[in-house]
Amino acid sequence: MLRRFRLEEPTTVAEVAELLGRFGDSAKVYAGGTELLLAMKEGLVHFERLVNVKGVSGLNEVKQNNGEIHIGALCTHHELENSPILKEKLPALVKLEENVANVRVRQVGTLGGNLCFAEPHADPGTLLIALGARLLAEKGGRKREIPAESFFVDAYETSLEADEVLTQIIVPVPAQPAGVCYMKFGYLERPSVGLAVMVNLNTGRTEIDDIRIAVGCAGPAPKRVAEAEALLKGISVDEATRNIAQAGEMSGRASQAISDLHGAQDYKEHIVQVLLKRSFQNALSQCA
Amino acid sequence: MQFEKQVEIQAPREKVWNFIWDVDQFIACVPGCKEAKTLEEGKRYSATMVEKVGPFKVEFPTTIEVLEREELSRIKAQASGADNKIGSRMKLDLEVKLREEENKTVLQFIAGVDILGKLAALGHGIIKRKADQVLDEFAQAVKKRLEGDS
Repeated sequence: MLRRFRLEEPTTVAEVAELLGRFGDSAKVYAGGTELLLAMKEGLVHFERLVNVKGVSGLNEVKQNNGEIHIGALCTHHELENSPILKEKLPALVKLEENVANVRVRQVGTLGGNLCFAEPHADPGTLLIALGARLLAEKGGRKREIPAESFFVDAYETSLEADEVLTQIIVPVPAQPAGVCYMKFGYLERPSVGLAVMVNLNTGRTEIDDIRIAVGCAGPAPKRVAEAEALLKGISVDEATRNIAQAGEMSGRASQAISDLHGAQDYKEHIVQVLLKRSFQNALSQCA
Repeated sequence: MQFEKQVEIQAPREKVWNFIWDVDQFIACVPGCKEAKTLEEGKRYSATMVEKVGPFKVEFPTTIEVLEREELSRIKAQASGADNKIGSRMKLDLEVKLREEENKTVLQFIAGVDILGKLAALGHGIIKRKADQVLDEFAQAVKKRLEGDS
C-alpha cells in the first residue's frame, strides 16, 4: 500500500530544481514511476513529496543536432524503440529498448528515470557508456554535461547533485565504418549480465581505430573497461580477434560481479567473456 | 553474511583497548552511528545505526550487549535492532581480537551480519557490499583516530 504523499506539479526544469533544493531528501523526482512506485508500494522507501516531472514540456523529444542525437530524459522506452531517428542512426539502442523489461514498463518507464534510479540490473546505462554518451544535468541557470561513464557511482547512486535534473541524453552518432552491439543474459526480465561494444574500423576495414567496451548488471553499476579496450585498439582485426578472450577475462574481472540469485560471481564473469566475444563479432559484421 | 577485517595500528595494545571502551570515540568511527549511550558500563550500550543505499534508508535503534571480555585481547558482542518503518531487522555478532606485533597492534574484526525483512528485497549482493564497505570504513577510521593523535 502506498503511504500518503504530496504531489508537486512543476512545469519547468527550474521549478523542479527549486523544489528538489527546497525539500531535499524528503522529495523525489517522479517520472514513469516504474521503479520508484514499486519501491514505495513495498514500503522500502517513503517520500513526503513526489515531484512529477511529466508536466515539464520539451523533454520527450529525440532530435538530431551536429552529428549527435539529443534524447529528452522523459522519452519512454516505447517512444525510443519507435523513434525514426534512432532506427536510422542508433539501431543498437532501438534493439535494447525493444527488450527492456516488459511492454507495460516500456509504455510508461522513461530513459531518464531508468538512468537516475540506477538499479544495477538495468540495460541502457551500459550501452550509453559504450556509445560515449553525455548526460545533461540542469539546476537553476546552470547546465553541466556528465559523461555516462562517470554518471553511475554505485548501486542506486549517481553523480547527480540533489537538486540537479537530468534533462537530456546526448549520444554522438558513431563515425563510420562502425558497429555497435549490446547483448544481455538473464532469466525473466532482469538481466544478470549486460555488455556493450562500439567498434570503429579504419577505412580499409582492416584495423580497429577505436573500441569502447562497457559491462553492466553483473556488479553494482555499469562501467567502462578501458584496460580491455587498450588490448584491442590500434591493431588489426585479426589480432584483436585473437586477443578477445583475454579482453573478456579483463572485462569479467572489471564487472565487479556480485554472487546472488542471478548467478555466482565466477559464472557472471564467464558470461561477460562470452558476451564480449559475441558482441565484438556482431559489431564487426556491421562494419562490412 | 560473514566478514573478517584486519587492521594494523601503530599504537600499543593498551591504547587500542582503552579506545574501544571509550564509547564516544569508538562510536564516532562507526559510519552512520549516532545517539550512542552507555546503559550499563562495560556490558550494555545503545545506539542508532543509519545506513543508506541510494534512496533506500534504514534506521536501526540498536542494543549492543557485551557477551565476553578478555582483558587486552578479545571482546565478543551482539547487537540487534529493528526498523519498523521499513519492516526490517538487523542482527550482528561481533568478535574483536587484539594482538601485539613488534610495535604495532593488529586489530581483527569477525562479524556475522543478518538482515531480515523487506530490506532483503534489495538483494543479498547489494547488502553484503554495503556491510563490507561499512566495516572497511570503520576499521580505517579506528586506525586513523588512533594513529592520528599518537
